[in-house]
Amino acid sequence: MSAAPGGSVEAGGSIEVGTASPRAWLVGPRRRLGGARRDPLRWMSFASCALAAAFLAGLLGLLLVQSLPVWRHEGIAGYLLGGRWFYRADTFGVLPMIYGTAVVSAVALVLAVPLGVGAAVFASEVLPPRPRLALKTAVELLAGVPSVVYGLLGVLLLRPWIYRLLGPFDPLSGDTLLTGGVLLAVMVLPTVTTFSEDALRGVPAAQRRAARGLGLSRAATALRVVLPQALPGLVAAILLALGRALGETIAVFLVIGRRDNQLPEHWLSAEPLVRSTHAGQTLTTKLGGSETFLAWGDPLHWAAIAGLGLVLLALVGGVTMVGAVLVRRSGGKGGFHAARR
Amino acid sequence: MSTRNAMNRLGPLLTIGFALTLVACGGGSGSGDKMAADPSGSGTADGSAVLRVNGSTTVNPVVTKAAEILHAERGMNITVDTQGGSSGGIAALGEGRVEVAMSSRPVIDHDHTTYPKVDFRPVRIGADAVALAVNKDVWDGGVHALSRQQTQAIYEGKVDNWSAVGGPDEPIVFYDKEPGRGTWEVFAHWAYGNPDDAPLVSHLEIGSNEEGRTKVSSTPGAITQLSFAWTDRKTVFPLAVVTDEGQTVAPTPATVADGSYPISRQLLVITDGAPSPAAKELIDFLLSPRGQQVVRDAGYVPLAAEKGVAATGETAAAGTGAAAASAPAAGS
Repeated sequence: MSAAPGGSVEAGGSIEVGTASPRAWLVGPRRRLGGARRDPLRWMSFASCALAAAFLAGLLGLLLVQSLPVWRHEGIAGYLLGGRWFYRADTFGVLPMIYGTAVVSAVALVLAVPLGVGAAVFASEVLPPRPRLALKTAVELLAGVPSVVYGLLGVLLLRPWIYRLLGPFDPLSGDTLLTGGVLLAVMVLPTVTTFSEDALRGVPAAQRRAARGLGLSRAATALRVVLPQALPGLVAAILLALGRALGETIAVFLVIGRRDNQLPEHWLSAEPLVRSTHAGQTLTTKLGGSETFLAWGDPLHWAAIAGLGLVLLALVGGVTMVGAVLVRRSGGKGGFHAARR
Repeated sequence: MSTRNAMNRLGPLLTIGFALTLVACGGGSGSGDKMAADPSGSGTADGSAVLRVNGSTTVNPVVTKAAEILHAERGMNITVDTQGGSSGGIAALGEGRVEVAMSSRPVIDHDHTTYPKVDFRPVRIGADAVALAVNKDVWDGGVHALSRQQTQAIYEGKVDNWSAVGGPDEPIVFYDKEPGRGTWEVFAHWAYGNPDDAPLVSHLEIGSNEEGRTKVSSTPGAITQLSFAWTDRKTVFPLAVVTDEGQTVAPTPATVADGSYPISRQLLVITDGAPSPAAKELIDFLLSPRGQQVVRDAGYVPLAAEKGVAATGETAAAGTGAAAASAPAAGS
């Protein structure tokens, strides 16, 4: 009965549960916690984990409570699927902003993922160590550039460029969802590149040597051997990029039109991409705008703004969790956690 | 091990959480524009009484800044409050609860009938003007003025091409000042009488004056409401306004300062009769070159503009500014 104190804690617990009376069953967990208390590493890491989890729970709870009035006023479906937002008429529907967020993020990924993964393959499989390190440093520096710098460059360079590019479609101005998407693509490109490269480097060199030894070309080694093994890490890199794209505020704020109440007539219509009069805005640009300041003091309006935060949090949280599950299921080596290093 | 995994998965969520918290905090700070320059709120050690000021949130930043300077340099104690806005300030003055009212609207007959014994003496300290600013191609295309009816039609989307108002055949791109901005309020006051009566429309939105100038100057066919001081006539051009009486008034420092340009409001401080010594000191400071610089820094049109000094100029004409400023507001 008296298990050796130095033994595995989990094993000790399960033995007691299996063999002792229900009362003794309580001893198991208590002893486990006691063990954790004595081990400073476990204790401290548990405390910080609990703090992190409590913070998240508190944030969710706060946003939920603060947004309650708008759920009552509009109904859950009415708020999430409503297409009209006029705070002066107490009408709040967030669908156009969810749509804008989705479109902008999709454009960003469509542009950034092929480029980023391609660059990562080149860096990982072709470049010798020294240039590879230089490239990686440069890319990571790019990731550290403040968003507002990207935003200002977007205003100065990207808006006019998109405007000229879209000339045939009569865009009216450069403030389109496409502009926001292209700018976001530039911003998430370093994320995709550097984490993809990490994932690719995580594939053991022995695999490459074996593949080359079997007579595979360099290209075949990269495409058939390294890429499939690094896939979970690549997925993680893409999801991280998506997380950044969903949450990015100020840069998008500056180049998107921020026009309310814009839903396309057809879901696959390209008009919001190419015509600024039909371009809407994202959840983040609404939150970054002046309405956040106006809303304070008006419970319903404030609830609508808090609801935006809740929706955004749910979106980003959902993406992250789906990513984690996908990565775990594919059971990759060097996967999600390696990529997050 | 399981702890570490959980932390790794929570990481991105927490990052977003922090960002959202920051946004939420930003929202909270918006309510804090009431500010008392005298934290103690009581009489002072050197015996000077507290000067009480109340009124317009538009005028508030200027007077609050002046109160801070006077407190730091001369030990004056001035409390500045914004309960009820301009009308609240005038009411407080009428009831004797404050010595100075701040107002962004003139004293009207209604005030005189409500407080018949009060001798309202408004002093103009500056002006807040909004220009309808257009891109160069619109200006060069021949659009130099709009009436209120034309502006309403454009704002409501009934007119979407410049050719309908005498300009080039080019679509109108309306950049709307985001809600809550004083610029938008002034515009809505002029166009619809009351911001609450403005129609529920959605336009491309802009926030700061910098953003407005950049976007209008870089977008053909663009128009926006822009704080007057930002229209440089090189990249963005301020349209004249055809008044309801049929007069065409261009926004110039002179027409803004004398109030004939309609999309504007005067920034006033009002006393009951001759100002008390403390009130006089505050008003004199506001009218001094330094006080006028405070007006300019707050984004408004200083009185010095009346003497033909460009509103965007770096240096106020110090001597003439004070002279021009000492004239009380016209009875408008």
